Amino acid sequence: MIHVKKRRPTVLGIITFFVVLMVVSPLLIIIPTSFTSTGALRFPPEGFSLQWYVKIFDRPEFIDSFWFSLQLALVTAVIATIIGTLAALALHKYKPRGAGMINSLLMSPLTVPSLIIGIAALLFFTRIGLAGTFIGLLLSHILISVPYVVRLVYTGLSTFDYTLERAASILGANSFRTFWDITFPIIRPAVFSGMVFAFLTSFDNVTVSLFMVSPSTTTLPMAIFSYMQESLTPLVASISSIVILLSLVFIFILERVYGLDRLFGSNSHAH
Amino acid sequence: MPQLKRSKGLIAMLLLVPGLIIILGVFVLPMIYMLMISLREDMGRGAWTLVSYAHLFQDSYYLEILWRTVKLSLYTVVVCLLLGYPVAMYMAQAAPKMRGLITFLILSPHLISVVIRNFGWVVILGDDGFINNTLMSLGIISGPLRLLYNELGVVIGLTDSLIVYMVLAISTSLYAIDSSLYKAAGILGASRTKQFFSITLPLSLPGIFAGTTLVFSLAMSSFVTPALMGGTSVKVLPVLAYEQMMASLDWSLGAAIAFLLLGSTILLVTIFTRLVETKRYKEVFSS
Repeated sequence: MIHVKKRRPTVLGIITFFVVLMVVSPLLIIIPTSFTSTGALRFPPEGFSLQWYVKIFDRPEFIDSFWFSLQLALVTAVIATIIGTLAALALHKYKPRGAGMINSLLMSPLTVPSLIIGIAALLFFTRIGLAGTFIGLLLSHILISVPYVVRLVYTGLSTFDYTLERAASILGANSFRTFWDITFPIIRPAVFSGMVFAFLTSFDNVTVSLFMVSPSTTTLPMAIFSYMQESLTPLVASISSIVILLSLVFIFILERVYGLDRLFGSNSHAH
Repeated sequence: MPQLKRSKGLIAMLLLVPGLIIILGVFVLPMIYMLMISLREDMGRGAWTLVSYAHLFQDSYYLEILWRTVKLSLYTVVVCLLLGYPVAMYMAQAAPKMRGLITFLILSPHLISVVIRNFGWVVILGDDGFINNTLMSLGIISGPLRLLYNELGVVIGLTDSLIVYMVLAISTSLYAIDSSLYKAAGILGASRTKQFFSITLPLSLPGIFAGTTLVFSLAMSSFVTPALMGGTSVKVLPVLAYEQMMASLDWSLGAAIAFLLLGSTILLVTIFTRLVETKRYKEVFSS
């Protein structure tokens, strides 16, 4: 690398600063805006009040969809993590015939835009009677989360030493015991990261949910999206601020446990 | 021994079953069913027909939307490349700690919903937003600039969402450059500019190509940003597909639009890859 040891800012440094600012500022600007005392969506905001946080309670659709999204993301994360971890174990440990093909099949939802996945799922679910149901929505969220879990756990297994498992079985542990006491603790960071990532994938999703939700099963991003198309008020800012702070907690957990750069290792169609 | 092998295969299959059921039932079968709907009358049960596709290709309204989608995606690629390349270069030169910090700062916003990020842009770019208020209070402009609900707004929003893929693709290829090349070039008297054009740029081409195809395909299929930052005036294929599915309820046309979007993206990415590869081989042969 070209190690430039200069104290004064370089052109590259200045451009980098502005690009980072560009990526971060849309989120940073929302939080002060939410404390405005007027009804105008204005920056810099005028005055200071908590009225837009209080007003969230006047709109039950946001409270309901928030709880609904949390539950949906939690159920999605748990199921996707179990399914994905089992698949990654099967591929890495047993290396079945056609492992390469099965792996690309499991990754295939990442290669098709999620909007198209949503349309296809809506058509098919209408045919089999799952359209607009909670199960339909849940299945579609599991679908888009499983590939990430498989990839994370598979990568986590790549440094795993299978002689440990053999040693355990020689010492008389059955295969379940071996998995629980030996394999799982070692791949736990990868499994946990997969679960958090699956949670966020579900919690943030709009493009698949768009075709899956019904009035009784609306997710928070969908509620914000619909509201934003009709009116732009500081109410969106207060709701968004809560989501941003909540997401930051998860992001820091991910960064500490796994490292964000490893998560984005290859193609990702998160939106 | 063969029995052991068979039982191992059986265990592997059992572990894979839930995953494969999800992929087949929620993705592969639906995609096939959608293809059927786009190609057959009466919701995929009637006679074979190309009428939905013919409808798309005969009407200049749809072709205009296709062209706009491609054009906005190309703009986004160019802006991402111009802004992302310097960032990748800076990251390649920076100390590991700084590199980690930049990676974290440009990655973490992507774990928050694009709806919320677009809302932030509305606050920044709107008529009463940060940029217009600043410029007006400084007396640079008298009325607000139109930065939102047009093509500019969409490109800004898409660049914000997608630049991270360009930066990561290019920086990965820059990290791999052997630093002794620069030392050698310096000893031989090559200027910084010369070093950039004969070492950095050629060796980062794979990263540029990877970033370009990724940003282009993601831009082509973006729905939320064009819907929220383009308004009704900037209609792109994903928005059109959504309207056909949910408002017009013309599902065979909606399915055909989905395949037009998928097909045109794959076609353009393939043409780009072919062009790039033939050029690379030419270079190999001429040298």
